Amino acid sequence: MARYAMVLDTRRCVGCHSCTVACKVHNELPVDMIYNCVTTVGPTGVYPDLHMTHLPLLCMHCATSPCVDTCPTCASQQREDGVVFVDDKKCVGCQACIMACPYGARVMNHETGAVQKCDFCKDRVDAGLNPHCVNTCHQKARIFGDLDDETSEVHRLVHGEKAVRLLEELNTEPHAFYIY
Amino acid sequence: MSKLIDVEKEGVEIKKSACYFCHQNCGVLAYVKDGKVLQIEGDPEFPTNQGGLCCRGNVALQHLDHPTRINYPLKRVGKRGEGKWEQIPWDQAIREIGDRLLQIRTDHGAEAVATAGGTQRTDDWARRRFMNLFGSPNGFHNSHLCWIPTFMVETAIYGWCPFELDMGNSRCLVLWGQNPGAAGMPEMHHITEFQKKGMKVVVIDPRYSETAAKADLWLPLRPGSDLALALSWIHVIIYEGLYDVEFVNNCCEGFGELAEHVEPFSPEWAAPLTWLTPEQIRQGAYMYALNKPGNIQWGTSVDQIGKPAGSTMHARAILRAITGNLDVPGSDLLTGPSPDFITDEEMEANEWLPEEQKQKQIGADRFKLVTWPGYSRIAEETRKVWGKAPTAEWMCEAHPPSVFRSILTGKPYQVKALLVSATNPINSYGETKLVLDALKAVDFMVTCEYWMTPTAALSDYVLPIAGALERPTITSSYGCSDFLLASQRAIAPMYERRNDYNFWRDLGLATGQADKWPWETVEDAYFHRIAPLGYDVGTYDEFVERYRFHFPEREYAKYQRQGFATPSGKVELVSSVLKDLGYPSLPPYIGPTENEIDHPELAKDFPLVLTTGGGFMPYHHSEHFQIRDLRFLRHEPYMDINPTTAAELDIKDGDWVWIETKRGRIKQKANLTPGIHPRVVFTQRGWWYPERDIRDPDLAGALESNANILTSTADEDCDPYSGAWANRGLLCRVYKHDAELKEAH
Repeated sequence: MARYAMVLDTRRCVGCHSCTVACKVHNELPVDMIYNCVTTVGPTGVYPDLHMTHLPLLCMHCATSPCVDTCPTCASQQREDGVVFVDDKKCVGCQACIMACPYGARVMNHETGAVQKCDFCKDRVDAGLNPHCVNTCHQKARIFGDLDDETSEVHRLVHGEKAVRLLEELNTEPHAFYIY
Repeated sequence: MSKLIDVEKEGVEIKKSACYFCHQNCGVLAYVKDGKVLQIEGDPEFPTNQGGLCCRGNVALQHLDHPTRINYPLKRVGKRGEGKWEQIPWDQAIREIGDRLLQIRTDHGAEAVATAGGTQRTDDWARRRFMNLFGSPNGFHNSHLCWIPTFMVETAIYGWCPFELDMGNSRCLVLWGQNPGAAGMPEMHHITEFQKKGMKVVVIDPRYSETAAKADLWLPLRPGSDLALALSWIHVIIYEGLYDVEFVNNCCEGFGELAEHVEPFSPEWAAPLTWLTPEQIRQGAYMYALNKPGNIQWGTSVDQIGKPAGSTMHARAILRAITGNLDVPGSDLLTGPSPDFITDEEMEANEWLPEEQKQKQIGADRFKLVTWPGYSRIAEETRKVWGKAPTAEWMCEAHPPSVFRSILTGKPYQVKALLVSATNPINSYGETKLVLDALKAVDFMVTCEYWMTPTAALSDYVLPIAGALERPTITSSYGCSDFLLASQRAIAPMYERRNDYNFWRDLGLATGQADKWPWETVEDAYFHRIAPLGYDVGTYDEFVERYRFHFPEREYAKYQRQGFATPSGKVELVSSVLKDLGYPSLPPYIGPTENEIDHPELAKDFPLVLTTGGGFMPYHHSEHFQIRDLRFLRHEPYMDINPTTAAELDIKDGDWVWIETKRGRIKQKANLTPGIHPRVVFTQRGWWYPERDIRDPDLAGALESNANILTSTADEDCDPYSGAWANRGLLCRVYKHDAELKEAH
């Protein structure tokens, strides 16, 4: 069984927001919903000695996912391959998962009344395709694949580069890895 | 849920289309069923974007059937700008427009009809063909601000513009006023890859841009001072012995004279003019001259600095030549025009425009480089060596601000009709007030558009034009490359939209040009153009589906075989062509259009330096503000200002502020960032508010935040070579939006 993960290479990201827009149009999200915003830190420093980093965000597809544990209706689920998703039909919109998620990765869809989130474009992944945000990235700053497959690029990057996880101290075992 | 398109499903076709929202023309795969586009994605096999699509590319479907798109021909029934329209059939529109143009030609001469274009979004060889056959020399774009003067200066110096960067073999890339990290994503991707392999990246930009943040060396110069930097680099490279002796000896004319000319232009001389240190200037020169082969990538900034623009282009061209970075592996390559397919120029019918009409081209008396005098001179040289000429549409045009003035003053004669295609001059051309007055005053105006823009709103007719997925595209660097990339339409145009090609052709048929337009569809015309390549295809679409690209085998150092396309056959550091046209044969130093040294009185009232323009995601020029899935990213206009300066002016992050030059003022919101010099401000370009009332006088807020209210098109502020006007390096002041209200109370 695969274990899907994403690597975010902040050395490559230029903060163009293409992933955000691709996700939005392909998932037909309402205007106030974003699954994967890009946060820009900086420029910091004093002109002209400056630094700037762009941080592409998304659901971290944690191995120990507080959102799934919190969901009272079992709408939030995790597949064996690690993909965390919401079964819309079961969601009653109580938003407990939104409160539980340390990454702010979940959003309420005010049109459907259900909470939604990045699901790694699981239908595409099941068909052997990459998530839309990965395909659209000119900079190849988002890399998707099977962490358990030793030949995969995500495996190579996570084990070969200095990869870190956000809020690792919370022990949710996020499966989004950042290279800087 | 992510939408999964089953491409195996019966009836689903994959069309090899292209994005049309900037010049990169990224390859797009469109999944089409029953004449509808179900989904689009980047084409992974396309050589430039390799599957990637930026924000703009992703909204192709939102653009295609947006509720505010123009879908039917409209004829004005109320007063100009009143917003009252009648929907009419195409045939009626073409007949009425054609009759009116013929009447104007009879009464005032063909030259009284002018056309305005925007960026490359159209088949403008067809527009040129119509104008030539009609008899008017007065077509124009705002191409003066975008590459065209650069192309012509460089062609004067070494016989073609070396726009093809051989980055795969390069060791150093100088991005001169270009920010591909926000404006050209496929290019940025390639830069990132080559930088990882050791290519040095130098970014020359007043702003700490997306690209500057990734650079090996960032040179934040004073806006508009590029010339001082270029001259001092030449000085360093010559006087510290870093030039390519062999190339200079064998291939260049006038090196001794050049050396003498640049002797005073030391880094110490340039430092106070550029606001860089002599060390920074030397570092840049060393990085470019010592990491060979290398590239200088063109950016729009030098085209937009006004008065010093032409001289700066000349100096920059010299840098390439004296380092030998011309047409050798890893350097900037002179592709020349294609000898194999029919170029844009060969489709333009320039030979049909009578000599006496060429002489009436507005602006050609003062700005000779990109009008008939300079174009003819340069084309004569390129024909001798390459057998072909640069595209005349773009490279040989009326001077836009002079056309607008002719409408208002009748000098040298009055332009009576303006045909506008793929541009919104109120937001995109310099000095908005001039443009607006002219558009309101012109007798007759027709606009071909996707949207009801502020310009379209003032027109007599508005015609619905086919967009990216509804039209085929040939990409060949404005018709000047020896390669081409071909894309097909995904679907037929929706509603009653038509290709811009068909607009010009139909208008040609309605004005007596019937025998000159043998190609009924644009695909027919494209097939005619590619047929000489000899591929075994029967239609243009078949070429796209089976081959899609034509890249001839690359030949380096072609000058060894054929020389350079200049009068001497060499690189003319001292340019005889520029001299013949009445311009300096070596680049003189000219200060920024408005500056604190030459204009101390002005600088007292306007103490800050302004730069406008510069691409920023997710918009392009004045486009896409109505697309919700983009607008959410940046819903209001922002100007960059250093926190130190803002504190002095009591401006906080997010405050609305006025930015004012001696020509007018606009308001944008303050973005406090240390990424800009304390004495410089940067305003976003293009802004209007499609959600507001489009009727005159509000014109959807087109006068409120529009950076072109600040720019200058006065003759004395324009580049004397090309007439390019000044968008950057101007003097301004900034104050809080409510500051004057408090004073008034």
